[in-house]
Parts: sequence; C-alpha cells; structure tokens
Amino acid sequence: MKRETKIAGAAVMAALGSNFAHAQGTERLKVGLIGCGGRGNGAVNDVLAADKGVEIWAVGDAFEDKAKASADKFKVPASRCFAGLDAYKGVLESGVDYVILATPPGFRPVHLKAAVEAGKHVFMEKPVAVCPTGVRMVLAAAEQAQKKNLGIVAGTQRRHQASYVETIKRLHEGAIGEILTMSVYWCQGGMWHVPRKEGWSDLDWQLRNWQYFTWLGGDHIVEQHIHNIDVACWVLQATPISAYGSGGRQARTGPEFGHIFDHFGVEFEFPNDVRVKSLCRQIDGCDNVIGEYVAGTEGRANPGGSIDGKVKWRYEGPPTNPYVQEHADLIKSIRDGKPLNEGRQVAESTMAAIMGRMTCYTGKRISWDAAMKSKLDLVPGSGIDVNKLPVWEEAKPGKETFWKA
Amino acid sequence: MQRQKEKRAASNLTRRDVLRTTAGVGLMAALGTNFAHAQGSDVIKVGLIGCGGRGGGALGDCIKGAEKVGAKVEVWAVGDFFAEKAQNRAKQYKIPPERCFSGLDSYKGVIDSGVDLVCMATPPGFRPYHFAYAIEKGKHVFFEKPVAVDPHGVRMVIEAGELAKQKKLGVVAGTQRRHQGEFIENIQRIHDGMIGDIVHMSVYWCGGGIWSRPRQPGMSDVEYQIHNWYHYVWLCGDQIVEQHVHNLDVAQWVMRANPISAYGVGSRHVRTTAGHIYDNFTIEYEYPNGARVLSMCRHWPGDGAGGEFVVGTKGTARPGEWVMPRGGQRIAGKSTGSGYVNEHADLIKSIRDGKPLNEARQVAESTMVAIMGRLAAYTGKRVTWDFVMNKSKLKLMPEPLDPKGSLPEPPVAIPGKEPLI
Repeated sequence: MKRETKIAGAAVMAALGSNFAHAQGTERLKVGLIGCGGRGNGAVNDVLAADKGVEIWAVGDAFEDKAKASADKFKVPASRCFAGLDAYKGVLESGVDYVILATPPGFRPVHLKAAVEAGKHVFMEKPVAVCPTGVRMVLAAAEQAQKKNLGIVAGTQRRHQASYVETIKRLHEGAIGEILTMSVYWCQGGMWHVPRKEGWSDLDWQLRNWQYFTWLGGDHIVEQHIHNIDVACWVLQATPISAYGSGGRQARTGPEFGHIFDHFGVEFEFPNDVRVKSLCRQIDGCDNVIGEYVAGTEGRANPGGSIDGKVKWRYEGPPTNPYVQEHADLIKSIRDGKPLNEGRQVAESTMAAIMGRMTCYTGKRISWDAAMKSKLDLVPGSGIDVNKLPVWEEAKPGKETFWKA
Repeated sequence: MQRQKEKRAASNLTRRDVLRTTAGVGLMAALGTNFAHAQGSDVIKVGLIGCGGRGGGALGDCIKGAEKVGAKVEVWAVGDFFAEKAQNRAKQYKIPPERCFSGLDSYKGVIDSGVDLVCMATPPGFRPYHFAYAIEKGKHVFFEKPVAVDPHGVRMVIEAGELAKQKKLGVVAGTQRRHQGEFIENIQRIHDGMIGDIVHMSVYWCGGGIWSRPRQPGMSDVEYQIHNWYHYVWLCGDQIVEQHVHNLDVAQWVMRANPISAYGVGSRHVRTTAGHIYDNFTIEYEYPNGARVLSMCRHWPGDGAGGEFVVGTKGTARPGEWVMPRGGQRIAGKSTGSGYVNEHADLIKSIRDGKPLNEARQVAESTMVAIMGRLAAYTGKRVTWDFVMNKSKLKLMPEPLDPKGSLPEPPVAIPGKEPLI
C-alpha cells in the first residue's frame, strides 16, 4: 500500500515538478537521516523545530550502534533503521521525501548523487566533498536537482543567519565602498578522538575518527574553515583565482590523529586584486579566533553583524537560530514551489577550501582552473577502496605522494 | 692619543664643520669632523666583524660606496669567531696579524684597533652586544640585518642607537631597500597619498631552502652551532627574522607605524637538517590604522613568492617596482643603482656632511616586528607590541658562553606548549 502510494506520489511529483509527494500544505514531511553522529542528530532536532509537519521516517549509519541509537531517540521502527556503508540506499528507498546528509564528507558526493536520482529534497552538511572529483560530482547532481525542481540547502548556516544576511546585503549595497581585502579565521583547540578498540578494522577505526583522515574529512581547512571561506565567497560574490600557502602538523602529531595537519595559512587571490588571508588551526593552548573581517574603500566590517564606514551600522534584530532556519527556509521554498538550490554555491566554497588544502599539501600555487581539472579522486568506490586503507603519511610539499594535485 | 682625537671629533663638531666645509678643500675638508683619523688623511679605516660571505660582500660594497661619494676606504682590521675565516680575509686585504682577531672577543679587537667605521656581519645573535660596544667606543657602524634575535637584544640596539645619536655617530643597517631608488620613489608616492589610505599589504619571502653545514671533526657544540648558525634561534632568529625582516621592514616603511599585534601559524614541516628552526610562517599583523599585513615566509619546495604588495583605498603598489592609482597606469620607480653599495655611500656621505644617518631604531623596530611573528607562530598566542617592547623577558644568548662548551640541540617549539616569555 505504502509503496504504491509512494510510486504514485513520485509520479505526481515528477509531473508537477515540485513539492513533496506527501506534504502538500499540511501533510507530514517524511525525513530520513543519513549519518547518525552528533551533527546528524542535531540536524534532526533542527528540522523538527523548523516545521510542525515533519516526521522522522528512517535512519541509517555505517555503524549499527549509531543507527540504533538514533532510531530509539526518534522512534523509528527497526524496519526503517539501516546499517552499513550502503545504509543510505535503504533510507532513500524507504519512502522519505527529504533527506539529511550528515555522514563524513568523503561520502557526500555519492549520497547526494543518489538522493537526487531518487528524487529527494536534500539538506546536506558541509563540506560537500573532499576532492575535486567529488566537487564535480556535486556540481553535476546540483544541476540535475535544478532540472528536477528538487531543493538543496547546505549546512553553511551563516547563509541563513539574519545577522550575516543583513550585513552582507548592506555590503553589497556599498556600505563600505568597494571591497579591498578580507581576513578569515577558524583557530581553535583540538578535537575529540575515539581510541581504537580491539577487533576494529582499519576502516572501522578511520570511520570512527573520520576527521583525522583526509579522504573522509577533507582536513580541517575543508571540514571546519569552509564556513569562513564560504563567507568570503559570499561577500566577494566570486570564487578565488588561486590559493597559495603553507601549513603542517606541529602539535597534534600522534598516530591516533591520522595524517591531517593542525594549521594552515593561506592567501586566496580573488578578482580585482582582492586578497583574502585565511588562518586556521586546531591546537590546544593557543589564542583562538573564529570569524571574518572585511575592509573596503570606505570602511570596514564584520560580516557577522557590524559595519564601521561611511555607514555605521550594527545588526540589532532578534537573535535567530540559523541551524533551524536553514531547514525552515528549505521547507518553505519547497512548499512555495520554488525550491532553494545551494548546490553550486556550497560546491564552489568547498572547492576553494580544497584549493587551500592542496596548496599547503604540495607547495604549489593552485589555480581554480587547475583544481577544477584535477584528477585527485578521494571518492569511496572510485579513488578510494575502503577495503584497502593504508594510513597515509601527512602530505609534504615536494614529495611525490598520493596528494599530488 | 686616539681617544683624545675621538673626543675632540665629537665635541668640536659644529666649529669644525664651519671651518672645514666652507673652505671646501679636498677630501679632508669634506670629511669634516667625522672620521677621527681623517685629519691629514682622506682614508676611512674600516674594520670587519664577521668574515663570512656577507661580511666579505659588505667590504666590497663599502669600498665601492666610498668611491661613489668620492671617499676612500682602507680595510684596517678583521675579526671572526673562527681564526681561519679571519685569516683568509686578512690575506685578501693584506692586513697584518696584529689586526687580525679571532674568538668570541674578536669584535673588541677590531673596534679597538684604530678603525673609524665597523661593518658587522656576524650571526645576528651577537649583533646587539657588538653594536653596543662599538657605540660606546665611538665608532660609526654599518650593521647587517637583522640586528637582534630577541626582545632583549632589540632594546639593547635601541638604547645604543640613542647613544649613537648623542655622539653623532653614523649607523646604517643592511636593510638595503631603504637605499634603493625604486623603493624610495614609490614609497614617497604612497606617502603623498597616490593610492589613498593603506588597507592591506602582503609581504613574502617564500623560497626553496637555506644552506646547512655539517659538523667538522673536533668541533664543540658551541663551535658547531656558530658554524651552522642559521639553524639555531639564539644565533639566527629563524627565517622570519633573519631573512623576511627585509619585507617586514618595507611594510614598516610604508605604514610609518609599529603593529599592535601579530597572530599566526608556522611549523617545521619539511626540514630534516640539524637545529630547530621552522620552515614556514604565516602571520597577520594588525596596524593602528586598521590595516592588516599578511606575512608569508618559508623554505619549501614548490612555487616561490617574494616582494611586497600594497592595497590602498585609491590604488595598489609593488613598492620595489610601481605604484598604480585606481583606473590608471603603473608608474615605475627609478633605480639609483645597487642598494648594497648605496647603503655605504649614503652612510659615508652623511657622516662627512655632518648629518650622520641613524637607522638604529628603525631597523630595531623592524627586527622586533619579525620577532613578534616568530613568537606568535611558536606559541600560538597573539603577541602584542606592548608585550615584546615592555614586558618580554626573552634573552637567548647563553651566559656564560664557552666556545669549547657543550650546548644541547634545542627542542622545536610546539604551539600551545611553548610559553610566551
């Protein structure tokens, strides 16, 4: 019965080219969670807070313990609780309308492609890829979603944060004149890790500690600092021409931390001689800063809420919750028949961050064009064989390694 | 006799100027009061402290610089920690053994040997001590950059620089872009407002690598570290101080201010040589007018980068090449010849003219900017100008320093763990 309804619904959906099979107006929206970690569970709470007409329909995770925990939490029956690397397929086939993609980003391009092919609306966490091959997959899926009138919103939540939206709108209207330069930062302490347990395969251990492996997490300039790099692309309404920088792994050096770096210093060259300085770090005991700074011909600003220039302005609206707002905006856009599609935007910001990583890994200046053409492939099932996982050494410039761009 | 002459030279400045320069007779008159042994002689006696490659180069530049302004130089004394280096240089300039000095105190021998002007080209860790002694003894100084490796040394140089001013001694540093026509012209244009208010700069010294010298048989730890000085922070300051100070000095020159703070990252990612220095730094300096300067230096394989790029509200510039007002054409700065020669020419001319240049504070401050950057990367902390100038207790020169002594390989700094002292 359900399956027939679903098929009919899907046909109607395809014909109409919009909306939810089951959620016209007041009907409940069936949400599937793919990736049952902290962020995934958080995103479920966010979508529940964003809209009353939401039902958590299915969950899936590589690990059974995680999938079951989420199923219990959100009262999802065992028949719609999936485990293993193919769990995403089960979720997509279970009758959902809207999926939350919150696995380690290495899998994202594969999951997005499948979700769009299956005709689902997508909320996907950032970053959306970890390599140029993945970025190209996301761009293709985003285009297909556009044609199928499917909504895609990404977890670059500042794009849905009123204080940012209002400030950047004013910057685009010329509040500080022509923009000349930016600085973006994400410098914080170290992150969690899970000690390896007896009996774990290399894959188990790397998946449980995904952020420490570039094929899974992209390294922290991509995984975390993309938020600020995305703000730069947003403010400048452009993508970088090139990236040049250096970095390394100076404090967080133990084998339990995989092979990623613990700091990157990059200069992004944007059009019109605009340079964006990027500093990111994950080392305990340092002075920390997270945010962005913009300077123009007629003043300077914090894109997150204040302008000091020919215009002096501060965001004084109500505090909003962008984590909830991003779902609310997506759902509203779908109900209105004009679904948002952030696929290209977040793919481009992801690519900018990947360029920042690649320049520091290789010592080469990386151009946008070279990155878009790069054959570097960390996509599981294509460039990566999950059954054959070495622990790579950290990337070093001048070394002919796997990281060759 | 020598001391009396020096005292007379210093105290009778004005009177002699009037007497001699108005007479306008020959080089002696032109040299005026300012070279103690120039009475009846038109030759400036120069001593070299630090007989390495740069030292040898500096002597050549000094000779050419003097010629450029119609003066003449005699290489009078040389000194180096290593006897062989001093002796090789002495042979080149036919200097007798009694004016060829070696060991840690060789600088005193050179300064006290009867010179007018000393060229200092040792590893920078020694510089503040050598400079202070030279000024105390009333010598004019050309000193290589950087002029210190720690805040303590910078303060010593500033203090001695003030004394040099009082004693009317000439002091010029090896930040030779300050004596290059392109830079002088372009930065003047910037200061005249051609590109508006400065909002951003990027400065780079990203190159492939630096030499490393193997330990010679029989060398003590101290001898080895002095021999391979680049790789030890107490001697070198690390690359950001030793090399990148050139570009940070250009930033200081453009900005006409000292930075409020430095914040950034760095590491020792590719080096496998002895010692403990980093091989990459990315630092952001915040200046009082709100401008931010990005500093990138490294010794890495791959693509390089050099020079300085300035962004103003009304245009952009590469101070060593051109200035470009917004919507306009690039306006090139004109060369006035080699900065390496000009620095000596300018120094000698200024002394002769009775208005000795004094770059001590300027180069000390640029050196401090570089040190702030190193500390920011090493500690992971935001380092303020106020802290390094007024509160830092960092002093890297081992005391006592026994040339035959042991000195363990120092550890590499770990951000978050390295204390900000």
